[in-house]
Amino acid sequence: MAFKKTAKNNITKLMTAWSHDFKIMVPTRKNSVIEFGDWDGKDVDFWVWYRNTVVPPKVFLLPVWEEMIRFSKNNHGWGLEVPGSEQKVLIFGVRPCDARGMAIINDVFKDGYPDYYYDIKRRRTVTVGLNCVQPYDSCFCTSMGIDPAMSKDVDVMLIDAGDDFIMEALTDAGAKLLHGEFIRSASAQEVQMARSMASSVTGKIHRKLNTHGLSEKLLDRFSDTELWEEIAAKCLSCGICTFLCPTCFCFEIYDESFKKQGSRYRGWDSCSFKLYTQMPMENPREEKWKRIRQRVCHKFEFHPINTGNFACTGCGRCIRLCPVNWDITQVIAQITGTMDSSLTEPSKNKV
Amino acid sequence: METELRIEARNLLEKGTVKSIIGFTKGSLKFTTTPLFIRNPDDVHKLVVNRFIKNNLAKYLAEVKECVGIVVKGCDSRSVVSLIQDKQINRDNVVILGIACPGMIDVFKVEQLAGCDRDLIDDISVSDNVAIIDFGGRRKEVELSQVLYDSCLDCKCPVPTEYDLLVSGLSHIGRNEDVGKAKIQELKRMLPEQRWTFWKEQFRHCIRCYACRQICPVCYCERCFIESSEPRWLSPMAQWQHNLGFQIIRTIHVAGRCTDCGECERACPQNIPLRSMVGEMSDLVFKMFNYQAGSDKNAPSFMAAYEVTEAEEIFR
Repeated sequence: MAFKKTAKNNITKLMTAWSHDFKIMVPTRKNSVIEFGDWDGKDVDFWVWYRNTVVPPKVFLLPVWEEMIRFSKNNHGWGLEVPGSEQKVLIFGVRPCDARGMAIINDVFKDGYPDYYYDIKRRRTVTVGLNCVQPYDSCFCTSMGIDPAMSKDVDVMLIDAGDDFIMEALTDAGAKLLHGEFIRSASAQEVQMARSMASSVTGKIHRKLNTHGLSEKLLDRFSDTELWEEIAAKCLSCGICTFLCPTCFCFEIYDESFKKQGSRYRGWDSCSFKLYTQMPMENPREEKWKRIRQRVCHKFEFHPINTGNFACTGCGRCIRLCPVNWDITQVIAQITGTMDSSLTEPSKNKV
Repeated sequence: METELRIEARNLLEKGTVKSIIGFTKGSLKFTTTPLFIRNPDDVHKLVVNRFIKNNLAKYLAEVKECVGIVVKGCDSRSVVSLIQDKQINRDNVVILGIACPGMIDVFKVEQLAGCDRDLIDDISVSDNVAIIDFGGRRKEVELSQVLYDSCLDCKCPVPTEYDLLVSGLSHIGRNEDVGKAKIQELKRMLPEQRWTFWKEQFRHCIRCYACRQICPVCYCERCFIESSEPRWLSPMAQWQHNLGFQIIRTIHVAGRCTDCGECERACPQNIPLRSMVGEMSDLVFKMFNYQAGSDKNAPSFMAAYEVTEAEEIFR
């Protein structure tokens, strides 16, 4: 599709136009935590400070918790109601890693039978991607085959070009957004310049995860209890790495009722938890090392076998948000025998 | 400091006094350290002691079934004592390698001062009572107290209360209650309605990752009350009311055992100021019962002890 552009100082006007059809979510800072929050209609300049959110945008498709059905008893028997909103949502500023995360989760929910609750949100959600300019030191997306400067997993991709954004619609839903008085055509030269400027970002990503023959190596070492115990030793079994992973999708379902009414909910669940899959009989992964192994193998062995893709986008959240610095890139290096010694040598810290 | 610790760790492992040592090593990100489990005496050179050893390693003691050596700061040592008091661990199975804690650097505060994220800061160093921050070709020098954790500034005993070896070298800058309790005091000054709105908003962001519980050394229950389904005390869904309820109950559960190490607040990915709850609880326990968690291994555990004189009228 043809490339468009808009001046950065037109973004507010553009979003105002979009807000007739969409609820617009933009990166906001609350509590010193960056999250996608409701756009308040004011001028935005988040591209100046925004790197990435703590909670990935998967939360718009698979909320932390949601109400599935509401039930109540009346004179005629039990009544059922499916709550939910038809409100369309536009997520502005999705990074390429998180866009891929949403694409990976899409594959899962397309598989087998359609998930009504997921589908309804997928259909009403439009994503506007934004190229990554300042990756964190925990980022390793380039190892996972992701171009931080470009994404094909969004409806519209924006590339920062100084005073303008170069815009490319990648879907019909995206194309519908790119018209009106604030949208101009971009010349091939402008696109080329913006792309070459954006592509310099890959040089800022130094962390690597060696994926060569990884699935096979994991299969080889599946029964190496000692290795997994060592890897798991410092893990706390909290839910940070899974909940904040842009590709993790596990959920649990919970019914709550009081007197003659109640609801069925679903919310995030994590394979790190001891009680994961504890219903109705027992958890097959009582020991911590088995849960860690499940997480690593799911991402880098089982998921690739089933879908051809790793369930990891290299966004680095699990590394930078882990309270004890459990680092997936180090763990994979340990498994594949390619450990970088600079990471294990003691620090020469002056402090 | 490091040398002394490494020599002792090597001795313990070589003599077979302990099967392993739990300590800290350099982390994989700037200004971080990570827990380290050593079995081989030749690995002791990996042990580090610096101002970024923020984790409370006592957490791992409940999992270990053999005799271990553990590196602890003041607050961590009190967690170890708490675990001994609660009969979760046996004193004879632990060799406590104490660090006279100089106070830990809160990288978040440094980020605020530098106006950039941790990974964009070039260096953080300390000279006497001054922290030197280098970032983007600039240098900023601030008083050390401006970059230490609130919990460290509010720390009553930076030196371990119980230890087999004490490593010292850097002295604590001293207590600064005004700064350490600033957040708590601000909350106390609010009207009840304002405070309610504040916490409601905070707990809307809770995602129930349970990092606060999982990192807490005294949260060692086999099954947490929140996971009970018969009866179901609170919803497992991350609704704010239940999130808040969970945290209030957790706070009460750790009363008299919480050493205000600040790990729950540090672990929270959503920056919920949890220390304002547990820290205040620790203070109340101290003020009302003159009881400080983990200061005496022979003292009865706080919630299990009862004296007629301390009861309210109704119970007498």
